[in-house]
Amino acid sequence: MERYEVIIVGAGPSGLSAAIEAAKRGLKVIVFDENDKPGGQLFKQIHKFFGSKEHHAKIRGFRIGEQLLEEAAEAGVEVQLGATVIGLYSDKEVNVRIGDSIRHYKGDTVIVATGAAENMVTFPGWTLPGVIGAGAAQTMMNIHGIRPGKKVLMLGSGNVGLVVSFQLLQAGCEVVALVDAAPRIGGYGVHAAKVARCGVPFYLSHTITKAHGEDHVTGVTISEVDSHFTPIEGTEKTFEVDTICMAVGLSPMSQLLKMAGCEMEDNPKRGGQVPIIDDFGETSVSGIFAAGDVSGIEEASSAMIEGRMAGVCVSEYLGYLSEEEKEAELKKLEGDLDSLRQGMFAPKNRGKLIEKTDEGIDVSMNLLQKGYVSDDEIERFPGVVHRKGVHPVIECTQNIPCNPCQDACPKKCISTGDNITFLPFIKDDCECSNCGMCVASCSGQAIFLVDEDCGDGTATITLPYEFLPLPQVGDTGYGLSRSGEKLCEAEVVLVRSLKAFDHTNLLTMRVPKEYAMKARFFTKD
Amino acid sequence: MNRIEEHPILGKKEERQEVTFTFDGRELKGFEGEPIAIALKANGVLIHRYTKKEHKPRGIFCAIGRCTDCVMVVDGKPNIRTCVTPLKAGMVVKTQNGVEV
Repeated sequence: MERYEVIIVGAGPSGLSAAIEAAKRGLKVIVFDENDKPGGQLFKQIHKFFGSKEHHAKIRGFRIGEQLLEEAAEAGVEVQLGATVIGLYSDKEVNVRIGDSIRHYKGDTVIVATGAAENMVTFPGWTLPGVIGAGAAQTMMNIHGIRPGKKVLMLGSGNVGLVVSFQLLQAGCEVVALVDAAPRIGGYGVHAAKVARCGVPFYLSHTITKAHGEDHVTGVTISEVDSHFTPIEGTEKTFEVDTICMAVGLSPMSQLLKMAGCEMEDNPKRGGQVPIIDDFGETSVSGIFAAGDVSGIEEASSAMIEGRMAGVCVSEYLGYLSEEEKEAELKKLEGDLDSLRQGMFAPKNRGKLIEKTDEGIDVSMNLLQKGYVSDDEIERFPGVVHRKGVHPVIECTQNIPCNPCQDACPKKCISTGDNITFLPFIKDDCECSNCGMCVASCSGQAIFLVDEDCGDGTATITLPYEFLPLPQVGDTGYGLSRSGEKLCEAEVVLVRSLKAFDHTNLLTMRVPKEYAMKARFFTKD
Repeated sequence: MNRIEEHPILGKKEERQEVTFTFDGRELKGFEGEPIAIALKANGVLIHRYTKKEHKPRGIFCAIGRCTDCVMVVDGKPNIRTCVTPLKAGMVVKTQNGVEV
């Protein structure tokens, strides 16, 4: 039996973060992961992350994964891949299947960072080939470079459903509809808005009633549901699709903790069966910790902080840190974690309808029901201003913990005030240089540079564009509304693709000036 | 063709070695090291197995080795999770019926 000071189960964002904190203080650490590559689900995340600098905001998920692997290598973390942990006992003995053999290990401490598994819902035809998890779609597109299908229907409007729908569009798939049984969109409004402006219709209070096909999916029928989630007869709508994607939540993979005798609870706010833990992840079994989604569903940014907390705690547990040193480290990490858990989407607000922003502004109900802020609602938000010449228009309408825009502006025109979740506003003395850094920095793709009146009856709008083929200067097409409807003719007058924009191209289109505050996307045909 | 030739964020895939394998006796091509399931998908194969009791088709569901919906008979061994098993030249892949060969 081999002995380690720390055995970590799972080499995802939280497991690796824990390993880094322990290994860099000299602890003997091993990380087991059943996959053939480390990094967990981070390498499938191609969007820019939210948060602040400390949370790696505006960096794409897979780049954060690369940074984490580099940091782990520098710290001397040992990762055993292709290793499935099949047993964990209260004395911290660990059974691992590697290849065809079972090996036994003993840890002085164990950190379980096994993450979560996707939920599913059932309906007639749900077992047909072509019905897949949203995670599967991400894996296919972003790891293996293959489209899950040509025409896809997405079920689930949480952040996963919204982000993966956008990724499907980026991969060249058609998303025919985004469906959710809930009456309101569950994820960030900005994620919904970037899907909606591409023309994807949202069907809230709808569910799938049948997948069609004999050998594989050929279509899908959805129905409206009543307040008890029962389908209403006569409301059926059928779409021709080859793929149905489910993004209906995640459940913690906490079986190992249960096996080890850790006290568990069924906690819907955390996503299901979770261990009862203290503020820093220690379970009821001394020396066994849980970090990341296994102890409650959140996202990768918080999982990384929780992992670091567990890594700090085991270092102190084994005498590599004094209690004072531990307290100081944890205090900083707690601050980072707290700031991520603020705003309308904070864990404590899960399921609540929030009707006003922290600033006292009415939340856009259209955004919650259709995925976009309507023309008559948009003007009430502080980032939406009218100035002479080119200026930013920030269509950020919900309190979420994110602030890269205020650091991005070299002229310091943008501020989110004292709180990371406040809505950004444009300072009165703003002297916009039209550099585009704010547009590219916004993880929600909610910033536009607008010149409302060029003097010749036209306006220009600069928008973030992450699709191929990239339109060229001189291309003509249409300006699309926030709901993806064709509004007016548009001509591409500038395309910028700087390295600093990190693959967010800035496309500037010229439209008749009456559409300056309405057109938010471009299509050639 | 459902392979993504160029991705707006991820760019072009690195050059990979094309290999030949068989699926139910048919000769197909895929890239060495990619999951068998992906190579099959690139060739339009969606059905991986039929269930034991009701003989219903199953294909890829989770794509990360969790759900076991995509298992097939590979080189004579049944219940191989094709979504996490790398493709090698000359592999013999067969549709699985039930839970055995």
